[in-house]
Amino acid sequence: MIVMLMRRILLGFITVCLVSIIIFSGIEMLPGDACTQYLGEYQADKELLEQCRKDLDLNRPAHERFREWAGGAMTGDLGMAVDGKTKISTIVGDRVKNSLLLAFCAMLVGIPLALILGIITGLWRDRMPDLVISTLAIFAMTIPEFVSATLLILVFSIWLGWLPGIVLTSASAPISEFFPEILLPVIVLSLVMCAHIMRMVRSSVIDVMSSDYVQMATLKGVPYWQMVFRHALPNALLPAINVVALTIAWLLGGVVVIEVVFNYPGLGRLMIDAISDRDLPVVQSIALIVASIYVCVNLAADLLTMLANPKLRTVYTRK
Amino acid sequence: MKKSLIASALIIMLCGANAIASPSGTFRQAHEYGFGDKSNLDPASRGRVMQITEKLMSRLIRPDLKGSPSPDLATSWSANAEATEWTLNLREGVSFHDGSSFDAGDVIYTFERVLDPENKSPARSAIKMIESMEAVDSMTVKFSLSTPFADMPLQLMDYRLRIIPEDSGDSIATSGIGTGPFKLVSFDAAGVTKLEANMDYWEGAPGVANMEIIGIGDGQARMQALLGGQIDFENTVTNQQKPMFASSNKFKMVEVPTGNWRGLVFRTDVEPFTDVRVRKAVRMAADRDELVKLIMGGAATVACDTPVKPDDQYRADISCPQDIAGAKKLLADAGYADGIDVEVYVATLEPTWPILAEAYQQQAAEAGIRVTIKQVPSDGYWSDTWMQKSVSATRWNERPADSALHEIYLSTAKWNESYYNDPAFDSLLGDARRELDFEKRKAIYVQAQEHLYETAGTLIPYHVSKLYVYNARVDGIDAVENHSIRWNKVTVE
Repeated sequence: MIVMLMRRILLGFITVCLVSIIIFSGIEMLPGDACTQYLGEYQADKELLEQCRKDLDLNRPAHERFREWAGGAMTGDLGMAVDGKTKISTIVGDRVKNSLLLAFCAMLVGIPLALILGIITGLWRDRMPDLVISTLAIFAMTIPEFVSATLLILVFSIWLGWLPGIVLTSASAPISEFFPEILLPVIVLSLVMCAHIMRMVRSSVIDVMSSDYVQMATLKGVPYWQMVFRHALPNALLPAINVVALTIAWLLGGVVVIEVVFNYPGLGRLMIDAISDRDLPVVQSIALIVASIYVCVNLAADLLTMLANPKLRTVYTRK
Repeated sequence: MKKSLIASALIIMLCGANAIASPSGTFRQAHEYGFGDKSNLDPASRGRVMQITEKLMSRLIRPDLKGSPSPDLATSWSANAEATEWTLNLREGVSFHDGSSFDAGDVIYTFERVLDPENKSPARSAIKMIESMEAVDSMTVKFSLSTPFADMPLQLMDYRLRIIPEDSGDSIATSGIGTGPFKLVSFDAAGVTKLEANMDYWEGAPGVANMEIIGIGDGQARMQALLGGQIDFENTVTNQQKPMFASSNKFKMVEVPTGNWRGLVFRTDVEPFTDVRVRKAVRMAADRDELVKLIMGGAATVACDTPVKPDDQYRADISCPQDIAGAKKLLADAGYADGIDVEVYVATLEPTWPILAEAYQQQAAEAGIRVTIKQVPSDGYWSDTWMQKSVSATRWNERPADSALHEIYLSTAKWNESYYNDPAFDSLLGDARRELDFEKRKAIYVQAQEHLYETAGTLIPYHVSKLYVYNARVDGIDAVENHSIRWNKVTVE
């Protein structure tokens, strides 16, 4: 078990390193740099461009700049944004907080709803509640977020005028100021994640309900609801843990499209801004944070599954 | 009789009271957050957020609703006979938001800061002819120029030349102290910047009590905010978005002609455009009325290759219908009877460029000009494509007539994008600056524009109009270019 844990942590570390390198080279390969972006039409002035590159220290070879940043990041120092004036930890800090807030609210609504709906549709398979909910779920899953987001804005903020359409609160504002602006993005996110998790739970409930041991229990005369809650659900919900984990990682990684549509000051929008400013250190830092979140959440989900399932535990211990 | 007298006296009193009503309500506007974390409140820096500085700070001279110079912090001005020395009288009794009073020292400090090459202010080019400055007394300044410049007042209207307090250069980027109708409460470029009415503004207290200028980078998000009533005013509405507002009585819409243009540059130093006949032919082949309809949906004014804005006092009245036969003949005379092949470079940096190139391709084909469109990435367009390739798309924002003609066509200009080199044209521009008589000066500028129409390598098919859309609860938005709007006159319900 411990060996397995160590192996996973090592693998996770390698993944994060690879992601950093890929992101860095990807952006390095894009035409233009921080200076051409900053100067805009003035970049045609070669003198000005050279001066700017000198000021921002962009003339050094790419691998050297990467090594310097990576060295700092190892010790927990994310360094400075490309302008050399702002600490990345200050910029990113607020954004992480905001993305966490959005993710947390969406999970609070989405996960319980998904579990309940998944169980209902699983138990009443192919009957009216299942048909209605499953069809709606397919809609929620297949309509892209930016379409459902725009539709919700149209209905709730433009036609009805009940909720603010986009978020105008600044990144550093206290959490309380994000209400009620945060409601629409939360609804959109909950819809999408809820549909995904619900379908997973549904099929797993159906599997378990048609398994041999459930039939045996039914034959032995165990009352229906006792059988559902004591024998079926604990087993049915296990596979859902991984889907939930993936969804959480997706949420925490900054939901770029949603944040842009709603002008929400989270990690995703910061990432977009930083890429268009060619602010490599900031992009790198965000990639590092997001990749680490993915690795950690997945690891946690696997551990949880193992703890909950004796079979998996023994397989790993025997190895 | 007596009763009606009292009644009318009452009415007059009430109206009077109404006119001096105290500022009320909040006006909200977005800015594009185009300079990212470099955004600041230093009016002369590259990262200035114009939507904020235009409300905080004033210029010496500002454009009136017709675009002519009118007094702001300077009450009157005059030049010597050679137009090399300009004396400006400053407004008495004006104070900055921090309480300090405005005088000649502030003007000289502000201008020296802009002129200092170390500061790399983009506003420097507007006033770089100023050689020295002198405070004649505390309320009079004298500018000595290196060349005669009859239209100096027009240069001083530049939207970046806003007066800041003496010695505030290090703090102005965040303090935003000026003499404008609004003063800064808090600055947050990415979020909400809050302003409040400056009750001591020299023209009297403004109409609204508070302003919020909000950073919203995404154009779609700005539309949603406007539709949902979270912002009151937006000036980046495109033609395609017009129908969303046109049918609603919740919004008011006004079309404002500007001096901004998009066009195609044919480099005059590259074959075959070294021949002035070819240059004229490629421009004659364009059907400008059709381009205005196709690309701008009518929201533009046809230009005959003049960069001078449609309502400028110096705009030449030229007519330039499409002339396919004439273009063919010119090409044949120049030795290209079989037509020419042209590669036009565009990017989506300016969304209308590819459409312009497509439309031009169709129109020019009739004259035997075979256009191939090359679309390149927006990144690095200004450094690798523009002024590098023989033919590329370009765009310029509005400038006073003199600046536009100088910056785009003077043989020695840094951004002479078509590598246009015509001594006759250069000397016309010099003559115009020396000429103090308005009518004569106008005649020279008109002649210079006509000269361009005959010989230039730049196709300027139209000047675009801007669409202002604002919430019906807002009143008093002048239908003029952004920086000429009198923000103190704006009111909200």
